[in-house]
Amino acid sequence: MITRTQLSYLDWGLIVLLILNTLIGIAAIYSSSHYLDGNYAFKQFIWLLVSLVAIFVLISFDYNILVTYSIYLYIACLFLLVLTLMFGNLIAGAKSWIKFSFFQIQPSEITKIALILLLARIFSEFKAKSVRIIQVFASTTVIFIPFFIVALQPDLGTATSYLFILAGALLLAGINKKVLILFLVAAVVFGSLGWAFFLKDYQRVRVTAFLFPKEDPLGVGYHITQSKIAIGSGGLLGKGYLRGTQSQLRFLPARHTDFIFSVIGEEFGFIGVVAVLMIYFLLLAGIFKSVGKSRDRAGVYIIFMVAVMLSSQFLINILMTIGFFPVAGIPLPFISYGGSSLLTNSLAIGLILNIKMRRFVNL
Amino acid sequence: MTNNIYEDLSLILRRSRRIFIIVQLAFVLLILILWKIQIIDYKKYWGLSEANRLREISIPAQRGIITDRNGKILAKNVASFKVSLIRENCSDLKLSCIRIAELLDLELDVLNQRIEKYKTLPEFHPIVIKDNLNSEEVAIIESRKLELPELLLQLEPKRNYPQAAFASHVLGYVQELSLSEINLEKYKEKKLGDLVGKTGIEKRYDARLSGKDGLLIETVDSLGRSKERIQNRPPISGENIELTLDFEVQQKCEELLDGKEGAIVVLDPRNGEVLAMASYPDYDPNRFINRFTPDEWLDLVNSTEYPLENRATRGLYSPGSTFKPAMLLAALDSKTITEKTSFFCSGFIKIYGNNFYCWNKGGHGSVDIYESIQNSCNVYFYQLGKILKIETISEYAQKLGFGIITGIDLPEEKSGIVPDPDWKMRVSNTPWYPGETISVSIGQGPFLVTPLQLSVYTSHIANRGKKSVHPHLLLKLSGPRPGSLDINESSFEKVVEGMWRAVNKGGTAWAAHINGMEICGKTGSTQVVSRETAERLAKKNIVVKTHSWFTGFAPRKDPAMVVTVLVEYGGTGGTTAAPIAKEIFKFCEHLQ
Repeated sequence: MITRTQLSYLDWGLIVLLILNTLIGIAAIYSSSHYLDGNYAFKQFIWLLVSLVAIFVLISFDYNILVTYSIYLYIACLFLLVLTLMFGNLIAGAKSWIKFSFFQIQPSEITKIALILLLARIFSEFKAKSVRIIQVFASTTVIFIPFFIVALQPDLGTATSYLFILAGALLLAGINKKVLILFLVAAVVFGSLGWAFFLKDYQRVRVTAFLFPKEDPLGVGYHITQSKIAIGSGGLLGKGYLRGTQSQLRFLPARHTDFIFSVIGEEFGFIGVVAVLMIYFLLLAGIFKSVGKSRDRAGVYIIFMVAVMLSSQFLINILMTIGFFPVAGIPLPFISYGGSSLLTNSLAIGLILNIKMRRFVNL
Repeated sequence: MTNNIYEDLSLILRRSRRIFIIVQLAFVLLILILWKIQIIDYKKYWGLSEANRLREISIPAQRGIITDRNGKILAKNVASFKVSLIRENCSDLKLSCIRIAELLDLELDVLNQRIEKYKTLPEFHPIVIKDNLNSEEVAIIESRKLELPELLLQLEPKRNYPQAAFASHVLGYVQELSLSEINLEKYKEKKLGDLVGKTGIEKRYDARLSGKDGLLIETVDSLGRSKERIQNRPPISGENIELTLDFEVQQKCEELLDGKEGAIVVLDPRNGEVLAMASYPDYDPNRFINRFTPDEWLDLVNSTEYPLENRATRGLYSPGSTFKPAMLLAALDSKTITEKTSFFCSGFIKIYGNNFYCWNKGGHGSVDIYESIQNSCNVYFYQLGKILKIETISEYAQKLGFGIITGIDLPEEKSGIVPDPDWKMRVSNTPWYPGETISVSIGQGPFLVTPLQLSVYTSHIANRGKKSVHPHLLLKLSGPRPGSLDINESSFEKVVEGMWRAVNKGGTAWAAHINGMEICGKTGSTQVVSRETAERLAKKNIVVKTHSWFTGFAPRKDPAMVVTVLVEYGGTGGTTAAPIAKEIFKFCEHLQ
């Protein structure tokens, strides 16, 4: 399965950056939840260990095998998503979880890996300068089936992140004007239909609150305002670890998950935030630099889609905490609390390691 | 950059690099935005964060009021002040504690321990540091409101038992939820610091009585002044509860027990309503509601007189001669004897090689079924026990309500023991000796009952077995439908005749006799030590008194009340318990 030579090409830098970012996350999770029941920081640490083991299992299979069988993985994920929708546990108003005796998983997260592999398969056969309608149609269908199921849970945040994976693949394949116009028209039509028929009331409120936060100071806009106050009051140096007055707080509903960045901003200040951004940037840069380190087209697509997935989630989450994006329920990859999310993102990094290890043909 | 074995990927790699540049730009943009928020607008946000504190105040619900059957209040609520500490508002927690301890005359250690205990709560959560404040303390806190924003003065309804120790074992008391209890499923709605029923009716009906606390969430400024209410959920009062107890009867019973150790139960056999349930020594539940009296509390818990135990439902005693009616009933109903059967009593009898004595050394002569109860002849029942099997005795004992809990609506009732060969094999792994059956025949041996069980048993006799009795304290209770006992009614009539004679024809329960009242009853005197030990002690002029029992009902036809009296170490049933029962019957005459 795996040779000694391949193992010598393992990119330890990415692994170290993954661990470093997760540890930063665990420290922030502890700060925002140590007074609650649930031992979140410890659980996240266990999930980190599980994720590392999962990575080493993943890299022992050639990624081409995974790409070949990606359609089955995809079907299995759809099956799980439907199952979750029918029998899942209702947490924070959404049926996104399947509960086991001592842990729970969120199938919508793991689905991202299946989507990346399947899209890589669709696009790897394709060598023209810009994308063909048939591929746009195939890839869009592949994405929108899970998108609708997950949006029904309703977890619009995770569903939206699927769109970024699709966008990444299309960008790489080359979008011409015709396709772009097609998408814009579709977006407007489906967007307005969705607004009218599909969005839940609370989701509409979130969007209006984002657009007009002052109208609704104690509603959803309130959370954005509170998050900004937390970050802003951190100043240059922050209030100190475990000493954030806003984030030892109940102003933010999901301070160890979606609003973890506000906690970091308040307790470590501008210096701390820039340091965290820098360490994160190193990880993303490492991934983008890896895009070329593949022996085939499928590998390039996979690495690039992972890069886009992580960058978009990271940017959207932070923009959300500072009021530049609607509260969408997208976690900060590796930093927010959440086992399924950490495992999925780690597996995504595992795919990159897998591809880089096998980049030399005939080895 | 390409060679033959690799395909040409340069186009898509170029696209990837462009996207990466966009991501880099986004990072730069992000840092600029954060610079604006955290550096340029710092003062504005810092000010907002200072002004922006949330306070969560739980508004305690009124606990339901407990009354007797006539509306006399037994447990109510009175307004009381408590003061809480909000750690978030302390500039220096240690210093605050020192100042507050001095101001409110608290011991610093106790205060620190309390804060340590609740340290897992969020900082804005008020921790109660003193309750039951007097008006002087309230004035002190009120006048220093501005200096001490960390203190929160609140009015709370405090549990109060206006009759002090009255029916304390029935009512129970409330206490602060302990740390070990907070995780229990039944307390999942409760918070640390909440008062919950710990025993008695307060515990049994805690869910009904406690209601639901209200919640007020408001933003406050740095001086603790309320700025804006975010949520205001009003409290929902608990349900009021009406008990079957009759205040005056209960009071009479408690007077009669005063200074003794024992229990009295007055039951209405027609419907199982408990008119009185007294246990002595008692305690004043008002003393435990205060959150801070651990020493006094431990004194009571560890007292050798067990004042916290409800002897009526948890005290276990041998029934002694009060069990004899059950024996006669078993013998008649199982057709082991007829109403003509007599036995001869010479003061003792030799069975299985041992001498068994009657309480009357002179002997009763020829004893028929009625005289056996009337004079409580031991020798009669020794012989009855010999021909009745232990299995038959225990079967009837259980039918009549022994060996299983009565199901009264009080927590932790004891079930007692009806001994039989199976039981003995289970607990001591030794076989049953025939001699033990002889002891059980007069209600001795390992046979243990509670005073309440004895009342239920007497109620069954009073009802002539036509309906079973489920004792209860809640006035409006839809309990199980009473079924019959499956014992012949005519057997009951004969036993009742014996019990009537015991009280009215100069029998052992003569001391309970009242002219014009048709009382039927039976006394019992339970040996606390073995006969040999008692005789040995008697030589040294030490008299060990027996537990004194009386149980009976009135009137004979359509009985309306069952009275059971137990006095620990009270001597014989006829000298101590029966006169007390007489007082109660006399007092309750109007209830007929």
